[in-house]
Amino acid sequence: MSGSPRKKQRIGDRRLGIQDELQDSTLHDHLQQLTSILPKPSTPFRRASSAGPRLTPSDRRTPNIPIRTPGAAARTPRGGLASRPISARRAAPTTPHAIRALRERANAARTPGQNRRRSGRVQRETPRDTLRDLSRILARDTRPVRPSPPNRNTSRNSALELADIDDGPDPIPPRLSMALEDMYEDDSIHEMPPRQSLLPDIPADVDNGTIQSLEFGRRAVSEDPRAMFAARISERFADLQELGIEEEEYELDGTFINSRPQFDPDLSLQEEIEEEMEDTTMEARGLAGIRGGRHSDAGLGVFEQDEILDEPTFRFTIPQRLRTLAREEQVEQDPTVQGFSEIEDSMNLEKTLHGGSSNGSSTDHAGQRYTNDEPAPVAWESDEELDNDADLHAYREEVSAVDRSLQTESPERRPVAAAQHARRQRREVRISKFGNEYASFPAPTIKRLATSFAKIQGGHGKISNDTLTALVQATDWFFEQVSEDLSAYAAHAGRKMIENGDVIALMKRQRQITNNTTSFSLAQKMLPRELLQELRMEPVQKAKRAKRKRMQTVVEDDEQEEHA
Amino acid sequence: MAPTTLYPRATLKKTLKAHANKPLAKNVDILVFLNYTLFLQEVMKEARIESKKAGERGVSARSVRKVRENCLRKFKG
Repeated sequence: MSGSPRKKQRIGDRRLGIQDELQDSTLHDHLQQLTSILPKPSTPFRRASSAGPRLTPSDRRTPNIPIRTPGAAARTPRGGLASRPISARRAAPTTPHAIRALRERANAARTPGQNRRRSGRVQRETPRDTLRDLSRILARDTRPVRPSPPNRNTSRNSALELADIDDGPDPIPPRLSMALEDMYEDDSIHEMPPRQSLLPDIPADVDNGTIQSLEFGRRAVSEDPRAMFAARISERFADLQELGIEEEEYELDGTFINSRPQFDPDLSLQEEIEEEMEDTTMEARGLAGIRGGRHSDAGLGVFEQDEILDEPTFRFTIPQRLRTLAREEQVEQDPTVQGFSEIEDSMNLEKTLHGGSSNGSSTDHAGQRYTNDEPAPVAWESDEELDNDADLHAYREEVSAVDRSLQTESPERRPVAAAQHARRQRREVRISKFGNEYASFPAPTIKRLATSFAKIQGGHGKISNDTLTALVQATDWFFEQVSEDLSAYAAHAGRKMIENGDVIALMKRQRQITNNTTSFSLAQKMLPRELLQELRMEPVQKAKRAKRKRMQTVVEDDEQEEHA
Repeated sequence: MAPTTLYPRATLKKTLKAHANKPLAKNVDILVFLNYTLFLQEVMKEARIESKKAGERGVSARSVRKVRENCLRKFKG
């Protein structure tokens, strides 16, 4: 009996309130009551707010099972219909078509809707509300707090560090901008300004020759006013010597020279001089060619003292990309240099030359030489007209100055040549151990091959860039190794040329060609038809010969053994 | 199947000449290319095995790097 009044009391307490319960009943009861009280308001709110209508159908049936089983197909629409307000169609689903249609509708309606509402439920109930509350609370608290510290800080910083701020931005942008601008502007300056500076000087006779003449002129300006004479003469000699190679530039240079009033008489005489000079220069070249390996040595030996001044400047301007061009030009220049050196030896004027070189620039040498040979160097053209042997030799000696000027000018020509060859040189150029340049095997070809192999071997055939780079490196190594082997084989056979037999021998040693597989069976397997045809055109015969030889040798050996 | 397009013959000839420093007979480069295809096949085969061992999907650069030394040694005449 005592229990019943307590229960009644509890009920009454619930109605009255929590505080009364706390006073009367035990803690356990309080907690139970709390739990019973608290969820009641919370649950209906949630259901009602988010998915009130949905809960009832989801409780009644499991959505997926009836749909899957055909036997239960009739039930599902009923359930779905029952749950939904569409009550009129309950009679309809007798026909299978209608049943299916209803099913589909129900499914279509269910699945996305449930997802939506679940998501909505989750979002609305737990995180959003709490976060909103939090944000509201925090916003109120932080609004005053947040703006105040940054403002104070900035104000303090700006007030205290005005000087620093001024200093700060200045160094940073110049570093970035200056480095880049220097790089680009320097090149442009090297190319452009000389043209501009010299253009006004030439305007009367300007033709196509302006560009090259500008380059020559720029060089002369950089050195000395005296250098102008030497440079001009040098240009003329350049014409004479390298007519075959680069006619246009030098001819144009010649026009440039002629444009100046002082050298007009030279024009008429040029042809004669050329004829005579060509022979002598050719001889000199021949002598230089005989000496062969000394090119660089001879050049250094003669000009060491002179060129120390000139070379560093012109070598600085050479970009490393243009090594190839530089080499070609040096090769072209070296014979001329040597020719000059030999002529000098013949003339025994080296001592005077070196004395002059030690004193000053190349132009000074020329002048001194002339003074030594001929007392009256003032009238250059007149001397040329006389066409004395001494003059010719003197000219040749000046070729040295010419060569210097050429070498110094060469970097200025290079940009033009570089522009011409820019496309070729974009490819990565590597240098073998023999100093020969070669382009690495193109990556796309390697990739194509590798993908084809990967596909054959049963992969998806995709090759990442890292893999490709690794493969490219491997190919480079492979070709290096193979060519070394082949050259060794050719050398062993006493041949200078690498022949197909060498490759076949290599493949035999690699165990690629065995008794069962010939090079042609491999080629048939691996190579496209075009290459296969080209392979078959010649080497079939060679291979046959090789086989015969092998047979013969074997027989001979046997015979020899027998005889022995 | 083998690729239908040709490989750059001039490039290959140049590389061979550069390394060997000797002139090449007419069709040497084709045979060398044949040898190269065999080499590449070997590399890909080994790399695939290696990558499978390591549990990677496809052929990774690491497996190729691991394998290529051995393959080069295999193809050393």
